[in-house]
Amino acid sequence: MILKRASRPRALISLVPMIDVMLILLVFFMVTSTYLNLDMIPALRASDGATGPAATPTDTVMIRLGADGVPVIRGRPLSGSELDSLLRSTIAADPLTQVLILPSGAASTQALISVMDKAAQADVQQLRVLRLEVQP
Amino acid sequence: MKLTRPARAAQSETIIALIDVVFFLLIFFMLIGRMDATAPFEVTPPHAETGRDMPAGGITLAISAKGALALDGDDMRPEDLPDVLSEHLQDNPDLRLRINAHRAAELRNVLPLVSRAQQLGFRDVVLVVTPETGG
Repeated sequence: MILKRASRPRALISLVPMIDVMLILLVFFMVTSTYLNLDMIPALRASDGATGPAATPTDTVMIRLGADGVPVIRGRPLSGSELDSLLRSTIAADPLTQVLILPSGAASTQALISVMDKAAQADVQQLRVLRLEVQP
Repeated sequence: MKLTRPARAAQSETIIALIDVVFFLLIFFMLIGRMDATAPFEVTPPHAETGRDMPAGGITLAISAKGALALDGDDMRPEDLPDVLSEHLQDNPDLRLRINAHRAAELRNVLPLVSRAQQLGFRDVVLVVTPETGG
């Protein structure tokens, strides 16, 4: 009589290598992911070139931006808080006031964005950035 | 004679739950991670508190503090930029141009590019900012 050892059940496909690969991928994505918190401010809108502005400004405030980044209104340099209060009071008096920014070419991008930020906080509806060009 | 039932083998810890969790984490990181072309130079966007959420899509023009340009991660000479932008615009007339200028970049290197983009026909140009003061 021949005794036969019962055949062992066939092993399932091992999951261990798959788990290893998934863990490596997981660690890769966790390590290489960088989280950039970015926002945007529109510089050109599709409606900018459209004919027929929505409202005609009744008053205009010109903000000059010097090379040092200090905003100047009517010859008077303003701090950030002064600019903020002035814009708020101007808009409160006339919501359609147009704000023009004339920056120096040597001013930094941060300086311009800061002024645009103040204008947005003051709820300025009509904001334009001017740029002087030298005619050839 | 007393027959005893053989003790059942202790059930091994199920690893299916672990695999599920790892899969979820993997898919989470794959979905939220946006593969974006970074500029070949350092760009720290200006700080702004009133920025809006930036939608995806479009091309990114990076401007370094010294005025160097890069379009979607590739170095770009200023004289080549109009032609390259026009080609992009021909493929998609509604293309969004994201200008990612370093906060210390001088406006003489930034504002002319906005005007140039407008002349080329771009109707959607945005300036990239960050709500974080530290950059």
